[in-house]
Amino acid sequence: MAPGVGASAELRYRLADLYAAYDDALGEGEYERWPEFFTEACVYKITSRENYDAGLPLGLMQAESRAMLADRVAALRKTTLYAPRLVRRLIGGIVLRAIEADGMRLSASFALFQTMLNEPSQVFLCGRLYDRIVDDDGALHFTERICVTDATLIPISLVFPI
Amino acid sequence: MAAADGGVPAAGLVARQWPQAGESRVPNWIYTDPEIFAREQERIFEGPNWLYVCLDAEIPNPGDFTRSRLGTREVVAVRGAGGEVRVLVNSCAHRSMQFCSANRGSVKEFICPYHQWTYDLEGKLLGVPFRRGLRGQGGMPADFRPEDRGLTQLAVASRHGVVFASFAQPNETIEEYLGPTILGWFDRTFDGRELKVLGYQRQRLPGNWKLYQENNKDPYHASLLHVFLVTFGLFRLDQKSATEMDETGRHAALINQRGEQKSNDATAQMRAFRQDLRLADPRLIDPVREYPGEATVVIQTLWPNLVVQQQSNGLAMRQIVPLDARNFDLVWTHFGYAGDPPEMTERRLRQSNLFGPAGYVSVDDGEAMLLSQAGIAADENGECVVEMGGRDVASAPHTLTETAIRGFYRHYRAVMGL
Ligand SMILES: [Fe+2]
Repeated sequence: MAPGVGASAELRYRLADLYAAYDDALGEGEYERWPEFFTEACVYKITSRENYDAGLPLGLMQAESRAMLADRVAALRKTTLYAPRLVRRLIGGIVLRAIEADGMRLSASFALFQTMLNEPSQVFLCGRLYDRIVDDDGALHFTERICVTDATLIPISLVFPI
Repeated sequence: MAAADGGVPAAGLVARQWPQAGESRVPNWIYTDPEIFAREQERIFEGPNWLYVCLDAEIPNPGDFTRSRLGTREVVAVRGAGGEVRVLVNSCAHRSMQFCSANRGSVKEFICPYHQWTYDLEGKLLGVPFRRGLRGQGGMPADFRPEDRGLTQLAVASRHGVVFASFAQPNETIEEYLGPTILGWFDRTFDGRELKVLGYQRQRLPGNWKLYQENNKDPYHASLLHVFLVTFGLFRLDQKSATEMDETGRHAALINQRGEQKSNDATAQMRAFRQDLRLADPRLIDPVREYPGEATVVIQTLWPNLVVQQQSNGLAMRQIVPLDARNFDLVWTHFGYAGDPPEMTERRLRQSNLFGPAGYVSVDDGEAMLLSQAGIAADENGECVVEMGGRDVASAPHTLTETAIRGFYRHYRAVMGL
């Protein structure tokens, strides 16, 4: 964890653990664990820099509750057709930008690599994460995660969350 | 091009023969052959057809511009001082440089960055630096006429906030081009109310562009492939539905009426139907009726580069941009109406989760493009069978038919001389 504002060493370790645990769940493809990292009411959105900078509200995926995230997971398990692939995420440069009444604001960069079955790995997407994290009774949860992709153009489709 | 055009004989194209059976068979080579692709660019994308460019709402004020791609050509749509829209080829009259490199914005004039040739909003050449040379040296020839060096302009048509253009002046108005049946569906969504853009999505699909037209003219797959749609009753062929076309067969509308998540004799044939699935947060699908009539879904496919999506309250223009025979981009412009209350915008945004590169429904279609192209490209001499609902081309009061694909290919063959 990089420079922060007035964060104790303990808080920094706890934040680092949260990001690591999130990455571990998605990295192992255990998407059922994914909604548990969020508060009951939350904002999760993947959008493009093009829409984000223009103030356009449309995203690629958007959810307003842990239940909507669970619906995303149910869909990718049970209803969506997609060719077999793996997606690897790398998250780095996590910065605690501010501690505010409605949570801690953090940002980071991400890169996604996609490997279609029988094909080489390729860079898939990269961009910035804008997070808000709350500390409820000793447990840290994301209450907002906005993933802003540098590219608007998605190669084929975006099946898995970031 | 083929020998008949006076060019060098192209063995490939001359030897091509559409299957004897007609439009109920589609030969695989139309999805792979670069010569077919070149002819499509010439006759379809640069021929006398009204191609979708953008929405008026993207360029509301004089000087506002947006870039768009029509086939492999790139254009800039710009609103002039008098409020009229012009569509200009994004290529400087000097050295063909792409003079506009922003997706959208607002300008007083266009200046090519290379040699600063300057054009007004009508595409007229205003200035050429050092046109008369310097101290008696250099400069353009004395007979250089700026009025002959404007930007190339396309014919433009617009209806109810939707802008179309053509490289070759069509001899039909946009209304005649769509025909009364399709115009009726078009006007249902574009009823004259001002539109509001909610945002863009873009995806690159490894398939021939025609596969996407076919996909949206094919209601048969919607009831089988799309578990999400079927399960939640958003589109199912056992529901009240219709397949309509214009007289030429080049445009179509698939119409469906929402049903319930109930099993019956039809769902028994749909492996996709999942009685057990429930949304944990039902706000995702909370549609409200907003148009007269009973239809809740109308998917229009307009020749050659547009799909107009109205699925519940999810509205989008899906622009098809062919890159080469085996790849195309899909540009999604999601929109609502300027007068929408905030809760309607919220609803449209929630429902947008169904569409686009990460859509609950649209991911299936993107993957279908990939897998279709892979199967087709492996056997260019093969052919596809398109005879669900018969072998003819005729509107039908149901959607258990591939007739709209046959209609598309009847027109395609006439235009392409195949
Ligand atoms: Fe589909």
